[in-house]
Amino acid sequence: MAASVCRVGSTVGRALAKARSPILLSLRRGQATVTYAQSLLGAPETRLSALDNGLRIASEETGHGTCTVGLWISCGSRYETEKNNGAGFFLEHMAFKGTKKHPQMALEQQVESMGAHLSAYTSREHTAYYMKTLAKDLPKAVALLSEVLQSNALSEADIEQQRSVVLRELEEVEGSLQDVCLDLLHATAFQGTPLGHSVLGPSQNARTLSRQDLVDFISSHYKAPRMVLAAAGGVTHEELVGLAKQHFSGVSFEYEDDAVPVLSPCRFSGSEIRMRDDDMPLAHIAIAVEGASAASPDIVPLMVANSIIGSYDITFGGGKHLSSRLARLASEESLCHSFQAFHSSYSDTGLLGIYFVTDKHHIDDMMHWSQNAWMNMCTTVTESDIARAKNVLKASLVGQLNGTTPICDDIGRHVLNYGRRIPLAEWDARIDAVTPRMVRDVCSKYIYDKCPAVSAVGPIEQLPDYNRMRSAMYWLRF
Amino acid sequence: MMSLAARSGAFSPYLQATNYAVAGPLKALIPGVVVKGEKVLVDTKKPFLTRESLNGQSPKTGPAVSVSINAKAAVRFAHTDIKVPDFSDYRRPELLDPKKSSQESSESRKTFSYLVTGATAVLGVYTAKTVATQFISSMSASADVLAMSKIEVKLGEIPEGKNMTFKWRGKPLFIRHRSEKEIAAEEAVDMAELRDPQHDKDRVANPKWIIVIGVCTHLGCVPIANAGDYGGYYCPCHGSHYDASGRIRKGPAPLNLEVPYYEFPDEDTVIVG
Repeated sequence: MAASVCRVGSTVGRALAKARSPILLSLRRGQATVTYAQSLLGAPETRLSALDNGLRIASEETGHGTCTVGLWISCGSRYETEKNNGAGFFLEHMAFKGTKKHPQMALEQQVESMGAHLSAYTSREHTAYYMKTLAKDLPKAVALLSEVLQSNALSEADIEQQRSVVLRELEEVEGSLQDVCLDLLHATAFQGTPLGHSVLGPSQNARTLSRQDLVDFISSHYKAPRMVLAAAGGVTHEELVGLAKQHFSGVSFEYEDDAVPVLSPCRFSGSEIRMRDDDMPLAHIAIAVEGASAASPDIVPLMVANSIIGSYDITFGGGKHLSSRLARLASEESLCHSFQAFHSSYSDTGLLGIYFVTDKHHIDDMMHWSQNAWMNMCTTVTESDIARAKNVLKASLVGQLNGTTPICDDIGRHVLNYGRRIPLAEWDARIDAVTPRMVRDVCSKYIYDKCPAVSAVGPIEQLPDYNRMRSAMYWLRF
Repeated sequence: MMSLAARSGAFSPYLQATNYAVAGPLKALIPGVVVKGEKVLVDTKKPFLTRESLNGQSPKTGPAVSVSINAKAAVRFAHTDIKVPDFSDYRRPELLDPKKSSQESSESRKTFSYLVTGATAVLGVYTAKTVATQFISSMSASADVLAMSKIEVKLGEIPEGKNMTFKWRGKPLFIRHRSEKEIAAEEAVDMAELRDPQHDKDRVANPKWIIVIGVCTHLGCVPIANAGDYGGYYCPCHGSHYDASGRIRKGPAPLNLEVPYYEFPDEDTVIVG
């Protein structure tokens, strides 16, 4: 009975669609106007060129009225030593404190009067300074950015004042336990190597970094071949290249004493770090194995594998109908407050893991089922899991690029990691090529019977002994 | 504020948040209380163990010094101040260099570990099996009991034509030194006449000696030697006649006298059992 009603309804719909009557428009109201395939192929090309000093310029003309333009530099906490760990972060703070030409008030006034946003971020391998502004203000934006980068005032008074701000920020970040947990994960997984450094740096360095340290840092890392001027929005590539020639031709490309900093590989150590505090309400735990580098061909199968495990929050309404098996279990057994599968990839290594937040009575179970999910990935993942994960992954890749800033960030990071922008169509093709066999093989290569790194913060008495967690990285039944 | 914290008891961890302030390098938070960072951090002279606990030294909220009369005094830092100890003393040689990826040596390290584990497991199982069998086999017959199961007889003491009786395993054992005439006579017996047909050759290892258990196969009496119509044994209970080979010839017994296992370690000795 219901089936016949549906059949009648669909025939009526199809008849109306053929008729192209006004009723048609109202019926198609909920449907997208562009198909997925069209959105892949219709994306404008990212154009790439370079200046004589090696500085690369990349832009995508999307036709928006606004634009995001910025400098992405391959410089981060990985390039710092124990002595100057935190210099990049400190420098980011100093960036907006005025340049030689515009003291702080003048700089702020310039930016505000354009209605622009000037921001920056520092990560382990990348640093970015970018500005979001109207497309017509591009020349002014590029000029300001070049000033901020090349002629930063770095006055002593500002440095002293920023110290307390940095210390205050260190204090603030202690409240964000996710960041603490993942920082500690890096610290233990890559112990003894530069990747183990936190971006913020120790508080001792925040108190003792001097102007000279910052100047040395700039002169040894802010070099043209390591920079990309990226832009997305209503900008033309030619205009951008012209502006770059005008403002960034002076960026140095030679190193003092020809000491080119070369990134050496970082040793991964299967280890654990436990920061137990029974007064905290929730435990934050991350477990990770060494993952693939950003340019590795295994990246896409690993992204698919992570999409199978997915993420979960206690506020999800799906309950036992969530598609990820781990999420279903988390919901039905109240295993955790949230979890997410993550893969941080760097230039030659990575961290592939699961991070979860749970209360003190469910840590053992959650860890068991997380590792169980990993074992499933290595042994029994099925075609339907892969099909679903591929769709989720494609949707998230497309959905993330929903503005000029995410697109510009994408361009900057891609050019630094891969030397070019990888278009969505290529991601789509690579995702389509993933088979269950491939996921099983790749996951076994990185996860099966490998020593994990574990970091845990909070009331973690129930967290199993490391040897038990190590034993859960293989199945005797195989 | 301090007295409030003292009275509130359970809530004091949350109220103590107001005590904290940020210490800058130019302005000491509490003048006079000079707490040098190195003295408070991990004691570098203390030998590190593989499981090093930074308990009590890790921070929760921000860098600050707090000194109080009726609350905890502490120096707090950021989580970025936690230094993972150097475990080089415990690392395998392939992993000592932090600039070398650990992937290359992972196969060989795992192989070594699993080989050692496997070999130890095999040895352990073998040891356990040995110990278990030793304990369980201690419940089997002891040496003296086993010794009683055999009897050693000096054959030189038995003259020809004589039958000697020995007590063996609780039963009488007949050893008879047969003459040539007897041997020839027994070997010539026709199988068709016998109730339990067995040739003499099948009942003796050395025809000179017939060794049988002296229990009548009828109802268990002990036959008398050198008696009966056939030159062998005669059971007085019901009149069974056995010949010089211990075979039943006349009477109610159904079977020949039982021949036990025996061997001649040398000419003059026999061990039965």
